[in-house]
Amino acid sequence: MPAAALAALALTGFPALGQQAQAPYRAPRTADGKPNLNGVWQAMNNANWDLEGHAAGMPAKEVVGILGAQFATPPDLGVVDGGSIPYLPAALQKRKDNFASRVKLDPEVKCYMPGVPRATYMPYPFQIVQSTQNVMFVYEYAGSVRVVNMAAPTKAPADSWMGWSNGKWDGESLVVDVTSQIEDTWFDRSGDYHSDALHVVERYTPRSPDTMMYEATIEDPKVFSRPWKISMPLYRHVEKNAQLMEFKCVEFAEEVLYGHLRKPGTDPYTSTNPNK
Amino acid sequence: MRAMFAWLIAGAALLTGLPAWAHHAFAQEFDEKRPIKLQGTVTKWEVINPHSWIHLDVKGPDGKVTSWMIEGGSPNALFRQGFTKDSLPTGSEIVVEGFQAKDGSTRGVGSNVVFKDGRKLFLSNNTPGQNGAAAPEN
Amino acid sequence: MSQRVVAFLFFAALIAVVLVPPPLAAQTANAVKSWTPPKTADGVPDLQGVYSNATTVPFERPKNLGSKEFYTEQETAEKAKADAAAAAARAARDADPNTVHYDLGQFGLDQRVTAVSNRTSQVIGSEGTIPPLLPEAQARIAAKNAAMRGHNFDDVQHRSLSERCIMWPNEGPPMLSPGYNSDLQIVQGPGYVAIMQEMIHDTRIIPTDGRPHLPENIRVLMGDSRGHWEGNTLVIDTTNFTDRTAFRNSGENLHVIERLTRTSDKTLLYQFTVDDPKTWAKPWSAEVTWVGINNPIYEYACQEGNYGLPNILSGQRAAEKEQANAAK
Repeated sequence: MPAAALAALALTGFPALGQQAQAPYRAPRTADGKPNLNGVWQAMNNANWDLEGHAAGMPAKEVVGILGAQFATPPDLGVVDGGSIPYLPAALQKRKDNFASRVKLDPEVKCYMPGVPRATYMPYPFQIVQSTQNVMFVYEYAGSVRVVNMAAPTKAPADSWMGWSNGKWDGESLVVDVTSQIEDTWFDRSGDYHSDALHVVERYTPRSPDTMMYEATIEDPKVFSRPWKISMPLYRHVEKNAQLMEFKCVEFAEEVLYGHLRKPGTDPYTSTNPNK
Repeated sequence: MRAMFAWLIAGAALLTGLPAWAHHAFAQEFDEKRPIKLQGTVTKWEVINPHSWIHLDVKGPDGKVTSWMIEGGSPNALFRQGFTKDSLPTGSEIVVEGFQAKDGSTRGVGSNVVFKDGRKLFLSNNTPGQNGAAAPEN
Repeated sequence: MSQRVVAFLFFAALIAVVLVPPPLAAQTANAVKSWTPPKTADGVPDLQGVYSNATTVPFERPKNLGSKEFYTEQETAEKAKADAAAAAARAARDADPNTVHYDLGQFGLDQRVTAVSNRTSQVIGSEGTIPPLLPEAQARIAAKNAAMRGHNFDDVQHRSLSERCIMWPNEGPPMLSPGYNSDLQIVQGPGYVAIMQEMIHDTRIIPTDGRPHLPENIRVLMGDSRGHWEGNTLVIDTTNFTDRTAFRNSGENLHVIERLTRTSDKTLLYQFTVDDPKTWAKPWSAEVTWVGINNPIYEYACQEGNYGLPNILSGQRAAEKEQANAAK
C-alpha cells in the first residue's frame, strides 16, 4: 500500500482502536430507579464441586461402587481469580483431610444451609425479590434465604448459616457485605473451607438483559494468606412461569444422620410408617 | 360489626399458639427421675436454634472435671431484647438446676440457670446496644 | 408429669405489649375499606414490613360462649385481667426448677407483641369452631394412629415433621402463630410477594401474574400458591398439598384461600378460608391481625442445630435397653 494511503489510514485510525471498551450495560430500572435484579437466576458451572479449575475426578470411595460415573467430579475451568485458593500453609492440610472425608463431612450431605457464596452457585435456581428497603435472596436448596438490608448497615447479634448481609448500590452493581457466618459451611464439595473470621463482599452486575456477573471477594486471615476472588456469570431462567420449587432436603439426609439410632430390627423401607 | 378496642395492657395475657410448637418430646429426652444440680464454668455458649446450649465444665468433689451441655431456649427473642453471642461470656460461673438426659450422657435441660451469685442470666433491664447488639431497624 | 409438661408447652405465660390499631370495623371479609394504604413504587398495595402474628385470641371459641363472636369493651377488659392472672400463675410454675423444661421467661420467649382484638375466637362466624371431621377423615386418621401405635419412637421417620425440622405446623398455609418467635417478613418485587416466616425460615414466593398452579401430580408440603390483587387485598390461592401436610387433619385436597390487607401503618389483617371436601362438610374461616415490629427476622436454622431429635431417639434406645436388662 502506498505510504500516503497508509498514513491516511493511520490518521483516521481503525474504528475500534484506541477506543475504550463499550459503555457498561445499563439494566432496566425498577420503579424506584435502581437496576432491576428481580428474577429467577442460576449459575451454570461446576463450582459447587470444586472452585478451583480441575479435570474430571473419581467419585468418593464410599459411593464409587454404587453411583459410578453419576457421582464423578465433573471438570471445570474454575472460578478462582488467579487459579488457586491461597491457603495459609498451616491451613492446607485441613483442606486435604476434608477432601479425603468429603462424603462424611460436607454439610451439603446433611441438608445444612450452604452460606455465602456457595448458595449462589449450588446447581439449583434462586430468586431475587427486590424492594427499596430490602433485597431478598431465596435459594431453592433447603429453602435457604437471606434478606439484604439496604438501609443503614446493622450488626449481627450472633453467627448464622446464611450470614448477615448489608447492601448498597454502586452504579450498576449491587454490593453486599456479608459477615457473621457460622464456620461450619464449606465453599464446595471438595472441602474448601473457612473459619469464623470469614468476610465476603459480593457484587452483582447486570451484563445483558438475561445475564449478570457475580463476583465475590473472600477474606479470612485465619485460613488464607490474602483476600481472593471468584467470578462467574449468572443466567436468568427465561422459560415461561419459571419458579423455585420446594426442595426440603432434610428427610433425604435422615438415614445418614439418624440411621444408627433406629430401633434394632426395623428398616426405613419396610417399617410400618404411615407417613411414607 | 364492632370496632376494635385499643388500649395498653400492662401485664400478662394467655398465649394462644398452635399445640405443635411443643416441637419435641422433652419427656423422651430428659429424665424427671434424674434431677441435677451443677455448678460450673461456661466453656462455650452455642447460640443456635431450635435450642441454645450452654457448655460448662463441672469440677467434682474429687477434683475431676466433667463437661456438660445444658439445653436452653431459642436465642432469637434475646436478640430482639438486645442480647448477643457475647452476653454469656466464657468463664462465667453458673449454677444449673435441671434434669439429665435419659441416655445417661452428661447432657441436661436447665429448668433454672443462674449466675453463681443468684442473678438470672439474661436480665431484662439490659438495653439494646449494651452488649454491642444490633440496633433495631427503624 | 408428662401431661403437665405437655400442657405447659401448649400454654406459656405471656406478657403482651399491645399496640394501638386505628378504630376499624374489621369483622367481615368485606369490611376493611375505610383506610387507603400506601402503594409500592410499582403501584400495588404495600404490605411490606416485619410483623408479629401472635395473638391472645383462642383459635376456637370456648364452648360456654356459644354463638357470641365479639366481646364488649368491658368483657374484653375483664378477659384481659383473667388472662393476666392465669398467666402469672403459670409464670410462677414455669420458674419452678422441678419442670422438665428450660425456663421460657429466661430467654424472653414469653414476651411478644400482639394486636388488640375483641373477637372470642380466631375462627369466625356464629359457631367459631372447626366443623366436625367427616367419617372418611376420621377413618383416615384412625388408620394412621393405629399404624403409629407402639412405633412412635422406632426411628426418625415416625417422629413429627416439626421434630424432624422438615416443616412446622404454624407455617401452613394458613400461617398461624407458633407461640414464640412469632414473626414474618413481607418483601415485594414487581409481580411477586415474598413472605418469610421466622420459624422455620421457609419463604413463600407468590407470583401475582396470573400463571396457573403447578400440575396436579406435583404435590408439596406447603402447597403451591398463586396471588392476585382485589382492591387493597392480596388474595392467595393454594393447592397441590401432600397428604402429609395434614393441616388440622386435612388431606391432600386441602385448598386454602388467604387474604392480606393493610389496615394501618402498623397492622395487617390476615384472613383465611380452608376447604377440603374429604375432611370437612363445609369450608371454614378465621382471621388474625398482625402487628408491625421494629426488629429484623433472625435466622432460625432448625436442621443444623437439631440435637433434640437424636437425643430423643437415643433416650428411647437407652430406655429399651434398661427394660431389656431388667427383664433378664
